[in-house]
Order: sequence, then C-alpha cells, then structure tokens
Amino acid sequence: SAGTGALAQWVLVELQGEVEPRQSGDLAGRLLGDLHYTCEGVPVLIVGHHILYGKVVQLEKPFAVLVKQGGAPQPSPTEPHSHYTVTALIKTKLLFKTRPKPIITHVPKKV
Amino acid sequence: ADMRSRAEVDATLQTAKLNPAELLPAVQCISFGPQAGSGECCLLQLEPGLCADLEAGRSLVIRGEKDEHAVLCSKDKTYDMKIADTSNMLLFIPDCKTPEELNADPASCNIIHSQIAGFSKNYWELRRCRPKLKKLRKLLMEDPYEGPDSQKDQTSTFSKYTTEDLLSLIQASEEEILHQLQVIDACKIEGYWRILDFDYEMKLLNHVTQLIDSESWPLSKVPLSVCLEELGSLEPREMIEHILLSYGRKYVDDGEVFFDMHEDKICRAIAQMLLQNAVKFNLSEFEEVWQQSVPEGMTTRLDQLQGLALVDKSSRPETIFLLKVEDLPEDNQERFNSLFGIRQKWTEVDITPYIQDLCAEKQTVGALLTKYARSSMLNGVKVYNSRRPIS
Repeated sequence: SAGTGALAQWVLVELQGEVEPRQSGDLAGRLLGDLHYTCEGVPVLIVGHHILYGKVVQLEKPFAVLVKQGGAPQPSPTEPHSHYTVTALIKTKLLFKTRPKPIITHVPKKV
Repeated sequence: ADMRSRAEVDATLQTAKLNPAELLPAVQCISFGPQAGSGECCLLQLEPGLCADLEAGRSLVIRGEKDEHAVLCSKDKTYDMKIADTSNMLLFIPDCKTPEELNADPASCNIIHSQIAGFSKNYWELRRCRPKLKKLRKLLMEDPYEGPDSQKDQTSTFSKYTTEDLLSLIQASEEEILHQLQVIDACKIEGYWRILDFDYEMKLLNHVTQLIDSESWPLSKVPLSVCLEELGSLEPREMIEHILLSYGRKYVDDGEVFFDMHEDKICRAIAQMLLQNAVKFNLSEFEEVWQQSVPEGMTTRLDQLQGLALVDKSSRPETIFLLKVEDLPEDNQERFNSLFGIRQKWTEVDITPYIQDLCAEKQTVGALLTKYARSSMLNGVKVYNSRRPIS
C-alpha cells in the first residue's frame, strides 16, 4: 500500500551490461560516475574510462518502487502475505544505449 | 567515502575532452548508496490507471498462497505478475535531476551528490487477468446454509468466512469479489458470507411461488410486506427477503417495495432441481415435466438452461443432462480439455455458454476457439474438437 503523504518521484538510469567496481569489494558507497547534461539536455555519463551518451525518456508505463517490509533475506513479491510499501514512482528514465566511448588517458609518445 | 570535488569533476571533463561550455553548469556525482546492493527494492511496471491509483493514495495488494501464482489487485482489477528480464542494468536514483529541473533552479550549486537507492536487472510486469473467483464458491460450498432449523450450524466445525477472510484468500480485487458474491446469491448471516444449500433455496422459492399463485399476483409486482407477513412464521424474514432479491428485481412504487420476478431464473432453478436427480433424461419427457413444474404463467425454454444443462442431439431419443459451467476448471486449457472429454465435437452454439466466462477483456469466444480448438465440418455444420489427442 502507499505510504502517507505524496509519493516521491525517482529517476531510472538504464545502462547496458553489468556495473562492476574496478577493485573487488561491494558497491555500497562507491562512485558510479559524473552525470552531465549538454545545453540541449542530452545526458552524458562519465563512468570510469568511458563516456556514455543517452537520452531522457518519459516512460509510457511508469514504475513503482516496492520496498519489502520486515527484513527477509531474499524478498520477492511471490511470497505469501508479504507486505510491500510503494516508496516512489518512476516516470522518467535516462537511457544510455550507445556504445561507451573510451577515454584515452595516456597516449604513448612516439619516439 | 570521500565526496568528489568540483575540481576533480572539471579535471575529468578535461581528460574526457568535453567542453564545459556545451554543458549545463551542474554535475551530479552518482554513487551507490549504503543499501543499494541489499535487494530490498524491486521495480513494478504499472499498467494504465495504476499510477493514478497510487498517486491518489489508493492501495495495491499482492495476493497469493504458496501454491498460487501471485496476482496484484487494485480496488477493482486483478493482474497476473511476471518477471521481465532485461539485459540492461536499471539503477533507481531518488534525487536525480532532469535538465528541466536543473534549468528551473538556477541557484542550484554546481555539484550535486546523488545516491543510487537500488538496482536490478529485472522488474515485475503486470497483465490484466480474470479474477480467480472459483475458489470463492468452493470456500462457501464447504458449509452451505441449510436454514435456522438445521442442526449443522450449531455443531459445525467448518470455517465460515467474513469479507476480510475472503479478501485475504481470494486472488481478486475487492470489487470483483463483492460483485461475485452478488452473482452467486450469497448472503451475510451473522457477519459471515453464506451460500444457501440448494434444497433449502428451493424450499424458500417454493414458499414464494405458491404465495404468488394463491394471491394471484402478477409476476412483475410481488409485494415484500405481504410476503414477510404471510411467510414470516415459516422462515426467517431475512431469508424471505433474500430469496426475493435472488430471484427478482427490487423496486419501489408509491412508497411500497415490490419485486419483478425473473421468470428465466426461476425456470432454470426448477430445471436444476429436476435434472440433479439422474444422470440424464429423455428430452421430451423432461420438457413436459419441467413445464408442469414451473409456476402458473411461466414458460420454459431450453435456452434458459445455457451453462446448466446440455442436450445430446445425437442420441435416440434425444437426452438432456446437467452440466454446470461453475463445476468446470477455471484454467483455459483445463476447461477445454474437460469439455472435449465430455463431448468430442462441439458446435459453437453449444460450447459458447461453457467458455464465455473465459474471455479476457475484449477477447471473443471466436478467438478462444481459434486458440484452443480445431475446427472441421460435420454434416454441413462447423464443429470444434480438441487440438490434442484425448487420453
């Protein structure tokens, strides 16, 4: 069920493939990257050594973000009598589908 | 984790050979929040109307026992839930700003730190489905109400169900459940939903039809008050009113309550009473007895028995037998298997009453037949049979 008060609006960022940290360890607290927008409103995401160009999409079918109440290790909406709270709605996504452009940081000098 | 500084952002821009002049001044440095990997959040894709429901503060409920596929219910609709896998990574970010939002707030500082609340490679997809209401009848049939004189109720150990009980057990929305309770003529007795035992129901109906006959009332104008007065000593007043509501349409004329009796429904009930006593009947004999058994002024017709009884035109003499659609399986494929097990070849006219309830929103009987049956011609008539061999 919905919580009291207006529902928060979040944004979805859709990236191709996996997101892996450069060093081992879990993701919590790690930086994903810098998100810029061009003056024309095109999102530009710099992740590691890659530049991703994307677009802002208004979702035809918005998403609800469900958070399971009562910590269970593997929450899933198919568990009987589970309680979920709708925490937020997502109506907008930033879709990054183009192949990442690698950033060349070190160009070997010609001898 | 140390937060990035504007200087670091600018250095990255330079390395990336991006021109800051072509970008909006604000950057959003996105990192994974502390709970991002916990998997406690999941995404649910909303069908039209559900987003508005949520924003209006209405609830959505996920229902299903261990042996059932989960469904999602709004106030009045039911949806199947299915996981959709994408090959992409979906990150959900609470404070992420769109270009419009950044432009609308020129005073915003040029570096914003946002956290990813969670991420997923999949989401729940919804598909509108028929509410799963067969269980409702099944639960109420565990203990049909046999009347106040029945010994059963006092000693009964069977479960009785309140509205709340039904809401938690039936995979359907509240409105769909309440509507179905009305359709099956359930009534609330001492706070519990009950279905009448058929024999008791016929007893009540008989009291009413006999009274209509002895008072010579028109079938369209049966007065509630006189019924309660005359029959109140035989049966509880609530039961008299319930049977009138089940078999008639209530209206008010000049301040008094009357019922316009449903001739078709009464004839149908009497047919069921006759047919349930044997496996099958000689059709013409049945039709004669049936007409004689219904109240004065009512006319029996075979089309009143759609979804209740089936005529076998291939036997000599022709026969008729009881076949109630509500006794058949709820799942589409199982329903068709069951029907083709009863009869190999069906005409569209004969099978329609037994598959009509399977039609999804905007789906036709024809579409169902195309999907689950194979057609052929038999003696110049189009018939349908199973797509698969019946064991």
